Amino acid sequence: MAKYGLIVDLNTCTGCMTCVLACKQENLTRPGVQWNRIMEIENAALDHITYVRHACMQCDDPPCLEACQSKAITKRADGIVLIDQKKCVGCGGCVDSCPYGVPRLNTDQQYFPGETLPFEKNAAAFRVQLSGKSSKCTFCVHRIDQGKSPACVEACPSKAMTFGDLDDPQSGIRKKLWQSKQLLADQGTHPKVSYVVPKNMFKPSEQRITDPK
Amino acid sequence: MELKGISRREFMKVAGTGAAALAMSDRLLVSQALSQTVAPDKEAAGYTFCDACNGVPFCGIKFSHKGDIITGIEPWPGFPTASICSKAYGTLQRIYHPNRLKYPMKRTKPKGSADPGFVRISWDEAYGMIVGNMKRIREKYGPHTVFFYVGDPKEPRASVQRLAATFGSANYGDESSVACRKGAYTAEVLAYGFGTTGSPPTKETRSMLVWGTNPPYSGPAKAWQNLLQAKERGVKFIVVDPRNTPTAATLADIHLQPLLGTTAALAAGMMHVIFKEGLHDEAFCSNWINGIDELKEYVKTFTPARAEAITGVPEKRIVDAARLYATSKPGGMTLSAQGTTHDLNAANNHRAILMIPAICGYLDVPGGVEVPSNPLEGFGGGWFNGPPAFCMRKKMDGMSEHRMDIKDFPVWAKVNFDVQANRIIEHIKEGKVKAFLAWGFNMMIWPQTHEYQKAIESLEFSMAVDFFYRPQTHPHLDLILPGAVNYERLAPFAVHGRKLFGRTPVKPLGECKEDWQIALEIGVRLGHPDVFFNGSVEGACNDILRMWEVSYEALRVAGEKGLVVPPRNPDSYKKYETGRMRQDKKPGFPTPSGKVEAVSTILKKHGFTALPEYKEGLKTSKEYPLQLLSGGRIPYITHSKWREDSPWLLELENSATLTIHPDDAAKRGIKKGDEVVLSSQWGELRAKAKPSIMVMPGMVGIMHGWAKANVNELVPRMFDPISGYPPYKEVPVQVRKA
Repeated sequence: MAKYGLIVDLNTCTGCMTCVLACKQENLTRPGVQWNRIMEIENAALDHITYVRHACMQCDDPPCLEACQSKAITKRADGIVLIDQKKCVGCGGCVDSCPYGVPRLNTDQQYFPGETLPFEKNAAAFRVQLSGKSSKCTFCVHRIDQGKSPACVEACPSKAMTFGDLDDPQSGIRKKLWQSKQLLADQGTHPKVSYVVPKNMFKPSEQRITDPK
Repeated sequence: MELKGISRREFMKVAGTGAAALAMSDRLLVSQALSQTVAPDKEAAGYTFCDACNGVPFCGIKFSHKGDIITGIEPWPGFPTASICSKAYGTLQRIYHPNRLKYPMKRTKPKGSADPGFVRISWDEAYGMIVGNMKRIREKYGPHTVFFYVGDPKEPRASVQRLAATFGSANYGDESSVACRKGAYTAEVLAYGFGTTGSPPTKETRSMLVWGTNPPYSGPAKAWQNLLQAKERGVKFIVVDPRNTPTAATLADIHLQPLLGTTAALAAGMMHVIFKEGLHDEAFCSNWINGIDELKEYVKTFTPARAEAITGVPEKRIVDAARLYATSKPGGMTLSAQGTTHDLNAANNHRAILMIPAICGYLDVPGGVEVPSNPLEGFGGGWFNGPPAFCMRKKMDGMSEHRMDIKDFPVWAKVNFDVQANRIIEHIKEGKVKAFLAWGFNMMIWPQTHEYQKAIESLEFSMAVDFFYRPQTHPHLDLILPGAVNYERLAPFAVHGRKLFGRTPVKPLGECKEDWQIALEIGVRLGHPDVFFNGSVEGACNDILRMWEVSYEALRVAGEKGLVVPPRNPDSYKKYETGRMRQDKKPGFPTPSGKVEAVSTILKKHGFTALPEYKEGLKTSKEYPLQLLSGGRIPYITHSKWREDSPWLLELENSATLTIHPDDAAKRGIKKGDEVVLSSQWGELRAKAKPSIMVMPGMVGIMHGWAKANVNELVPRMFDPISGYPPYKEVPVQVRKA
């Protein structure tokens, strides 16, 4: 059985927001709810801005699963953590339990109040987001089941994201894994999303100058 | 420092140092695309191109649709521009935005009324108004008083030029003749004889000069990927940008951050070092640069110390950059299409940049600034120009004495077929313009917007095609026409090098029509059905495609893969030696002297400074101590578009945001999210503050196009005399807490 993971290379992420919109378009998330977010981290001393694509870490030991009183959160055999919005009672337990601040309660807002756009009518089940219920990145499980990668991965113009099977020694993600770090590794969550952090961040730009002579 | 042990609460807070403390990698990411087997979609697939930025990159979109309803979009597999951006994804929501214009509307209240009273009319009535007014005005004042304008998207430029030419007006202009590409293009033609923003790095390239552009926020994905791959190969990068962009952070070996408006001084400083240390290509300089001795003499006084004093770039960095570029041979370049031309020394600043690769001998050598060996015959370089035969360029050129810009901007008028439109206020007052026919028109493009609104309002007739009602523009016009969006258009097809791609549009919403069709149908109703293909958009496209012995039907059959027009000649380099650059087949560059022109023959003839000299621009003062960089690109907005058009994008930034260096913010007691007042000698606006090291100390940045915070009201109606461009990027300003 495959075990899916993702590596985000912060050397190449430019904060262009393409993944954020690709996700929005794919999953039709509610207003104000973004399953894919970009954090801008500025380090004035190093004169450096790092853009961090931030979404569900797809933990192997997800605290949200334990915290969910209505048993709406499950982990599939391939490791993908999902929220069943029909079972969710909107208690916010998962929101409080997640060390990464990922799940969000769906707002009851609409982008065009009172209007349903043609592509929202009869939309596939994965594109229906119930108000008041908890939601988060699904790794685009509907795409994975068709043999595709998540929409954000495919959309990234910088190719900053590597998606694949962590159990397959020949996969691209496995070959890259040694370079990457898990966030909050001490929390025992065993996230399957990890990060390669910028190589230049310890060097002020002055030191990056290459003297050709 | 390890991230282990950081609590969740601290994670967000310290991510700046926390993330920095994670392991470091020495290699850039190589794409590890997974092999994919696409399950058959229940819905049908269709194809189009994105017009979200301006319709020049022509990024490919594959969409799924059920009948005429588009349900989802993705990048067109294998398309030359690679993937699509956030704005392209936003186009899905734009199609069905409830506010889209769906039928023609005419005003019923006089100009200047608080409410123009737009009411729905039929296309018949709309065309009757347009054609009736065109004929009446031609009869009364002459054909050249009707101004034809194409704003954004640029897609209909070819069809509207054909309309202007057939109608008999010399006055066709576009947003490039106000603010965009043609300012830099003018400088390129003056210097090299042809337009170029550089070429992608190749395996021969050893260094790259990236000046004033941030491709991940403003270019097709492929352009950025080319640069990333070059970086991986070890190409050295000099990035010049006052902003701390991802391009600088990701690529730069040396990042130069000049003060706004000092480009020519920085370039002169770099050339000073290159000449002084003998790093230039002496053979190329003496054989192929017109005025090389004058240039050497001019840059002699620009010692690195003097260049530092003017530009603010540390002396050592100027020297390092010059050495790195001139010794890592060959060097390529990637220039902004317009970013370096938004000041009062626009054309000369940009010409100065162009001289750097020239003196290093990098022009048209493998891995340098390559010039296409086989541009598609008869195409004219891109849809922002249009195929000259189809556009009836000869007829337009024959009427050039009637251009309204010829006295104000003679060099511009010599170089560009697009008429310079920045002094249209004066031209309207002088009676040279009586009607204004626009496709995609936003008056916020102009400095001191309100003066243009008043002038356009005084015309006898005006109309615009658009997707939405635009409150900054449409209340001042007589007629609004509903445009079909990119999923509903057939024209134009896409051209990438020698590859052609067609679209498979769905039926437009309501009574929307595509831009080309509107232009063609006006032409038919003016009495020229044969010239305008009886209103058939496909007929018009076929007229162009015939040049390459293909048809739109052939594009449809070719589908996703597109068609290749085989090249007629083998690729070659140093084409200035073999006569492949000039129309007369003589060796040389396509300039009057046949050489790269450091001393410009055309500028000299018109009495301008012939060398690319530095000229001091607008000065900061105690009252206005900061420099304003307006329009520095953010990735999810283009110009004034993408505010209400797609709420998906609007939620990323829903009001004008002023970036200010944290030191400057602290001095003024400004914190993140504070409302601030940005003011210049000419106007003021309110915005939300975002302290950020994206801008340098002494500089603030803001995006243009916010209706309630129109930054162009802070920009004066002053123009670079060569390009005619206003100083969008050098106005002295002050910021205070509101």
